Amino acid sequence: MKKIFMILVLLSFGSMYAGGYRVALQGQRMLGMAHAGLSVFENTETAFFNPAGMVFLDKNFSVSFGVSGIMSNVKYQNAMYNIAAETSNPVGTPFYLYATYKTSENVSLGLAVYTPYGSSSVWNDWAGSDIVNEISMKVFYIQPSIAYKFSNMLSASASLIMAYGGVSYNKNINRYLADEEGNKTNAQLESGTIGGAGYALSLAFRPTDDISMGLNYRSSVVFDGKYGKATFNNVPTFLSSRLKTGAFSAELPMPAELGVGMSYKPMKKLLLAFDYNYTYWSIYKELRIDFKNGLPSSVSDKSYKNSSTFRFGAAYSVNDQISVRAGYYYDQSPLTKGHFSPETPSLSSNNYTFGLGYQMKKLAVDLSFLYVDGIERTDYTTVRGEGPTAHRFGGTYVSNAIIPGLGITYSFN
Amino acid sequence: MKKLLYIFLLVIIGTSFEACKPEFESPIGEGTYTSGDADFSKFVAVGNSLTAGYTNGTLYKSGQANSFPSILAKQMSLVGGGEFTQPYLDDDTNDVGGMNFSSNMILPQKLIINASAGGPERINKAIGMEVTNIHPGPYNNMGVPGAKIFHLVAPGYGNISNLALGAANPYFIRMASAPNNTVIQDAAGQSPTFFTLWIGNNDVLAYATSGGVGVDNNATGNLFPSTYGFNDITNINVFASVYSQILDELTANGAKGVVATLPDVASVPFFTTIPYNPIPMTDQATVDAINNAYLTYNGGLQSALSAGLITAAELAKRTINFSLGANALVIKDEYLTDLSILGLPSIRQATDEDLVPLTAKSIIGHPVSGNPNLVYGITSPLDDQWVLTADEIAEVRNATAGFNQAIKDAAAAKDIPVADMADVMEQMKNGIKIDDGSTYTADYFNGTNLDNLTFGLDGVHPNPRGYAIIANEFIDVINMKYKSNLPKVVPANYPTITILPTN
Repeated sequence: MKKIFMILVLLSFGSMYAGGYRVALQGQRMLGMAHAGLSVFENTETAFFNPAGMVFLDKNFSVSFGVSGIMSNVKYQNAMYNIAAETSNPVGTPFYLYATYKTSENVSLGLAVYTPYGSSSVWNDWAGSDIVNEISMKVFYIQPSIAYKFSNMLSASASLIMAYGGVSYNKNINRYLADEEGNKTNAQLESGTIGGAGYALSLAFRPTDDISMGLNYRSSVVFDGKYGKATFNNVPTFLSSRLKTGAFSAELPMPAELGVGMSYKPMKKLLLAFDYNYTYWSIYKELRIDFKNGLPSSVSDKSYKNSSTFRFGAAYSVNDQISVRAGYYYDQSPLTKGHFSPETPSLSSNNYTFGLGYQMKKLAVDLSFLYVDGIERTDYTTVRGEGPTAHRFGGTYVSNAIIPGLGITYSFN
Repeated sequence: MKKLLYIFLLVIIGTSFEACKPEFESPIGEGTYTSGDADFSKFVAVGNSLTAGYTNGTLYKSGQANSFPSILAKQMSLVGGGEFTQPYLDDDTNDVGGMNFSSNMILPQKLIINASAGGPERINKAIGMEVTNIHPGPYNNMGVPGAKIFHLVAPGYGNISNLALGAANPYFIRMASAPNNTVIQDAAGQSPTFFTLWIGNNDVLAYATSGGVGVDNNATGNLFPSTYGFNDITNINVFASVYSQILDELTANGAKGVVATLPDVASVPFFTTIPYNPIPMTDQATVDAINNAYLTYNGGLQSALSAGLITAAELAKRTINFSLGANALVIKDEYLTDLSILGLPSIRQATDEDLVPLTAKSIIGHPVSGNPNLVYGITSPLDDQWVLTADEIAEVRNATAGFNQAIKDAAAAKDIPVADMADVMEQMKNGIKIDDGSTYTADYFNGTNLDNLTFGLDGVHPNPRGYAIIANEFIDVINMKYKSNLPKVVPANYPTITILPTN
């Protein structure tokens, strides 16, 4: 188990590009059609999107695995001061692994392992270094589910969520503090592996052969990091007795999410799907880091607001083997005015997806492609930690991301 | 299938190239910043220590690097500004400033905070700068620490043979293009296209920082600067006439520029850090002992009143009374009625109208020659030099107001804009809220806000962050007047005061 855990940690490297630190890449088939999978009960990915839909799958056993490559860019500028910067983010590789199994006509079991949240920003020696130099957050969920079919039209499911993850965060102490050689003093915060638990509930409804509806609620999970380690680099001598390696504790919430979706087949070969996701981001009020070695707590006001995502997807079956998919979704940023921080520079975005599927006898291969077009935003955040007065750090941000993905599915009866 | 796969890959590759990096609607680039009606190709800054980048009690290499003209020149370089040279400081190898003359120190090193001792002190590192190490200019930065207005037009101010006479300046000696060139000859001789002129602070400051031991030449009417002592106040008419002359020379070739007003001395922490009543009393026996020591003086004042020598108001002003709590300093005041015929000294307790210079910190509360019954500021009145009295402040303010009026008149005559540094430095003391929402103050002995300090440890000169705030003010005035668009700077990116674990 430990070995698997380590592999998962290595793999789950999300790169910030969606609302907040949500990384919505939970299935290449559904991603091809705007990640609108709440009411599409046709493949293993429903183990994530709507586990209640598992009872409507054709095959008794199905497993799928997929991975994406996130290449994201964020640019910042502030013309008042002639400052500009851009991230050099590493390629993120979030993954998923789903298995579904029909134990009887009415009961299905599912297991979903996926990376719903993550973030990775690397800013190099820039004007906002007192907010972030580098941040990387890796989160994955293990979600076993059980689904029950009440009738050929209605089913429900319940899931447990076990969440694991870790955060690594580096920032300068403030804008000028440096050691005697002029190297800026910075803090490196490592959460270690932290975890939390939650649940999910869903409903699947199929009134006719052509219309499906789904509802899914995933609870929040609060990561309670008690054993973080803070180290300080490039500390000037006069502060060396104060800025010492020490422990810290911090909480990081993964918000709850409610989704409703509907799909419709106007003709046999065409599937249209619409999803609406509402994410309860308001749980992220502040990021509070309590040091245990006498340093004052670091509190940054986040004041996220709940946000919405609207997804429109389509899939067309060219023949029994080949499907082509396309979609668009609008993703709203949960960041409120005056709390726009470059550690998670989440912009509202227009998103365009494409997908291609090839179904063999038991094996299917799916390709997806997502282009995230972040909508330019001028905003600021208030930074504390420089003596008695806070300052604003603001400017204009723009971002995009290019995310190709590959998935394989193996199914049999 | 293959065809579809190719199309799919083509979409990916096409999009990836097209959208490789996101782009702003109006990215910073060519045309973002403009020079407007100004021409920054040859920028010359004329002034005193404030222009030179002097801070923490001296001029040193890293301080000079953050002088306000140097900050301005970097911004100007975006829109056609040329090279900006500053006086040679390469011999300041320890980055401590100060100055030697034939290996004897004539000016001390920079001030730092010694964390093990608590207070500011001179850094304990060898001085590298030497008056005789002459590197003739002219330089774009023509700020000469210590220069009064008439020094800028004084021949021989850079001649080393005048140093012993007090008629030459060690900094100008090192930077003058020829020993008998004036500062203004060297400045105007470069045919600047743009200039800053901020001069006159020392014409009143030396009087104030010396506690008013010099002469106010507005009272004497002395119009001959060559006869002025170092601590004298320059006559306003002399100031106005020299200022116009300087502005004539700087604008002779049509140069544009900006001039700056002079801060009120009460705006610098040198005078605002120590209150008039810094003596706490917690013990009635001590209070009684002190009052007892002044019984004879207070009684003598009653006799002077009866004899009609002083008014009741002066009696009240001079009567010395200590009590539990905060007590005012006992000071000498030459403006009081001379009662020496009664054997009474001219002393009184300070009021909130008096200013105590920062330098008095070293003696207040200390015994005189180790005598515990004679304590500076309590039982031994402070000499004139340790207090700027209300009357002396009035002289200083009168002169400052006159100088600033002369600056504004001369500038208006040439259509040159005025940066109101008098106002900016007043705010820098009281708390200046800058563009990014943070507040900077001069409250630099409370020890918790080292990041938001405007002044260096000498209490008179800004630290580099303060100079950045000053540069931003100049930028605002330049952009407004000349319709240019120079970007501003972030003060927090500049150094604050230096703290060392030991010295």
